[in-house]
Amino acid sequence: MFKLRDLSIDFLGIYLENPFILSASPSTDELEMVINGLEAGWAGAILKTTSVEENLVQLKYPMMSSFGNYSKRIFGLGNIDLISKYHIDEVEKRIKILKERYKNKLIAASIMGSKKEDWQNLVYRLKKAGVDLIECSFSCPQGSMGEAPGRMLAQSVEATEKVTRWVKEAAENTPVLIKITPQVTDIVEVAEAVKRGGADGITASNTIPSLLGIDIYTFEPYPTVFGYSSYSGLSGNAIKPITLRTISEIKRNVDIVVSGNGGAYSSRDAIEFMLVGASNVQFCTLPMVYGFRVIEELKIGLSHYLYEMGFKSPTEIIGKALEKIKTNEDLLILDRVKAKIDERKCIGCQLCFVSCRDGGHMAIEVTEDSRVPKVNEEKCVGCALCMQVCPVDAIRIYELKDNKEHCFMRR
Amino acid sequence: MNEIIKDELSLERTIIEAERCLYCFDAPCEKGCPINLPISKFIFFLKNKNFKGAYEVVRESHPLISIAGFVCPQEVLCQVNCTRGKIDRPINIRELHNFLTLFYTDNHNLSLPEYKYEEVAIIGGGPASLSCAFYLRVLGYKPHLFTDGELGGIPFKEISNYRLPDDAVNKDIDFIKNNLIYKLEKKRIENLDDLLKDFKAIFIGIGLEDEIELDIEGVNKSGVYMARDILRKIKKSEIPEFNERIGIIGGGNVAFEVANTIKTLFEEKEVFIIYRRGISDLKCYPEEFERAKRLGVNFYFGAIPKEVIGGKRIEGLKVCQVSLKEKGLDGRRIPKSIEKSEFIIPLTDLIIAIGQKLEEGVFPEIEKENGLIKVDENLMTNIKGVFAGGDCINGGETITRAANDGKIAALKIDEYLRRPK
Repeated sequence: MFKLRDLSIDFLGIYLENPFILSASPSTDELEMVINGLEAGWAGAILKTTSVEENLVQLKYPMMSSFGNYSKRIFGLGNIDLISKYHIDEVEKRIKILKERYKNKLIAASIMGSKKEDWQNLVYRLKKAGVDLIECSFSCPQGSMGEAPGRMLAQSVEATEKVTRWVKEAAENTPVLIKITPQVTDIVEVAEAVKRGGADGITASNTIPSLLGIDIYTFEPYPTVFGYSSYSGLSGNAIKPITLRTISEIKRNVDIVVSGNGGAYSSRDAIEFMLVGASNVQFCTLPMVYGFRVIEELKIGLSHYLYEMGFKSPTEIIGKALEKIKTNEDLLILDRVKAKIDERKCIGCQLCFVSCRDGGHMAIEVTEDSRVPKVNEEKCVGCALCMQVCPVDAIRIYELKDNKEHCFMRR
Repeated sequence: MNEIIKDELSLERTIIEAERCLYCFDAPCEKGCPINLPISKFIFFLKNKNFKGAYEVVRESHPLISIAGFVCPQEVLCQVNCTRGKIDRPINIRELHNFLTLFYTDNHNLSLPEYKYEEVAIIGGGPASLSCAFYLRVLGYKPHLFTDGELGGIPFKEISNYRLPDDAVNKDIDFIKNNLIYKLEKKRIENLDDLLKDFKAIFIGIGLEDEIELDIEGVNKSGVYMARDILRKIKKSEIPEFNERIGIIGGGNVAFEVANTIKTLFEEKEVFIIYRRGISDLKCYPEEFERAKRLGVNFYFGAIPKEVIGGKRIEGLKVCQVSLKEKGLDGRRIPKSIEKSEFIIPLTDLIIAIGQKLEEGVFPEIEKENGLIKVDENLMTNIKGVFAGGDCINGGETITRAANDGKIAALKIDEYLRRPK
């Protein structure tokens, strides 16, 4: 009934009907599931990471755990999953079937190998099967292969460059994305290595090594596999701020295409990823938790945003926020910063009062006759802690510089 | 939401509800609570799954927590003030409280101070008296409790089981009896002078034992009962033989308690509340009115009883319609009979629930006012060292209010005995 704007983009020479694709994950590990996802409206899918037949994949169950508030709204999802139990022979078949059926969708594969010939063989076979794009997992936190087992490939600058070169050498014209981890000392060095190795882009980034929790009564870590566990890869909305930083740090320093991945939970999140430089956005945990149907909200949300902001194509928003990210020392020292409480919106919980008293600058005061607190302008430095704790967004921060006022608020 | 307690998911649902709490500073809900229960604190504990800690917070702040968990009228007390209600809906505080008292009554950590001071006499076994004993013991006194009946007062004797299970009442009574009462004597105290020889301080929490009778013609016919008599009988499973159409005169909590209990017990019988004022003048808790409507109780509003009709046995109640134009000094509307507007409500049984009063002639040496025991701001009566609290001074309020009276009296008694002015 309502018009959806044109959301199509060109991604490394590949047509995408919208910038949202399913990342290599359990959601793309069965042919039927991939078909369901594509039918639901996703622009493409990267099949779950596969390897050569000789690599034995022994999955451990249960493999999922999560954290959030106690009411079980999942904030972070952790898994001790490994790569797909399906090897390249099966993935080849699926690529053919999918490509046959979905000419206008991105059909990609994710690979992981150890030896040079494994990587290159995987690439040759996928190319032959007609794959649109190859993503290389250099960053699965749970299991890695190659020279330094237990360590992720993308944690070594040299190995990253070397293996990227192997892959690109075999892939030739087929676009290659290197999926990296944010768990490194310097993400820029890794991104530069990927570029030197010749890859077309970076997928930033994979899950983050984590430990999801401990049962305090049995001392068993989560997810427990008969009483024991291992470190998990953390995904979900919890890691969104880390991903935003990873993408922007790469884009501010290295001229390379980035596919954003890790923590986007809504159209707004996806837009944020694109604003810091992602050309498209991959989703994994969101459809895993709520199903493929979430694509509707992503598309419609982006469509409205583009219209509202006067953009013609999603491509136009890529990197829009980058110039606004600076180092701390480059930020201005303002003449005055003060919090203001909107008395009409305030519900009188006084959370701002107690947090300012015990964690801010003791600059919010309460009186006997009103539940609405008052800001003591003498004491307020404008730290904005109060704004964070306010449950109804009744607090704004007013900033003054050279007689110009700026209002910082969340929308 | 009472049903969720029995639900397997009750723990999860409780946590979800607890997480909605904003954890206000100087929380308004606590100000609405007659005993200032640290509500935000226990909900914060609960949210963090610190169930035993949450229970202890509640346990030490309210002597009758299990009872309050079932019958405290949250919609007129704590919950009305809930800040969360300004965002969506108030936290269901009583259910969170009830969850704790149902599933986490763990008192192994109980650590009471040594007995430091003398015995204090407490007359009565209801909420106010139990509360006074509770806090006196916590302060280091030896509460010596005299009662001529069972412990528990109205919750034990009158509130029907469907609303307040015996287990809940017993849990509170047992806790206080086993841990906090120094001496319990089943004895009726007639004379305060004798007691004052042995005790320097006395607390009176005798409640309002008698019922106000209706002064109209025909109330002596058979089939006419007093409300609290009926409730006490039902509580003891001595259910009276009612006929088909039962009328209840009154608009307070007792009237609704009787109506709802009878309608719950006998779904097929017709139950009528007959009230001389209008719906907005009802003195019962909104929750009870809603329950009555749900159960199918019928109502006559603006009907003043004039005469009980019938032969030896009641056959009906003659009532007169009223005008409610005028307001009294208390702000409540005054019902004025309208001439020639009488009509007869055919009834087979009639229950009178128009109020309660002090037991006739009790403690004549103590000064009374408006039919209640008169106390000063320290809850002390005209006799030095004799304190009073609960329904006998406030005319019949909530259990939590009575508990708070007992608590304040304990603090005042301590002040009187230890730090005399």
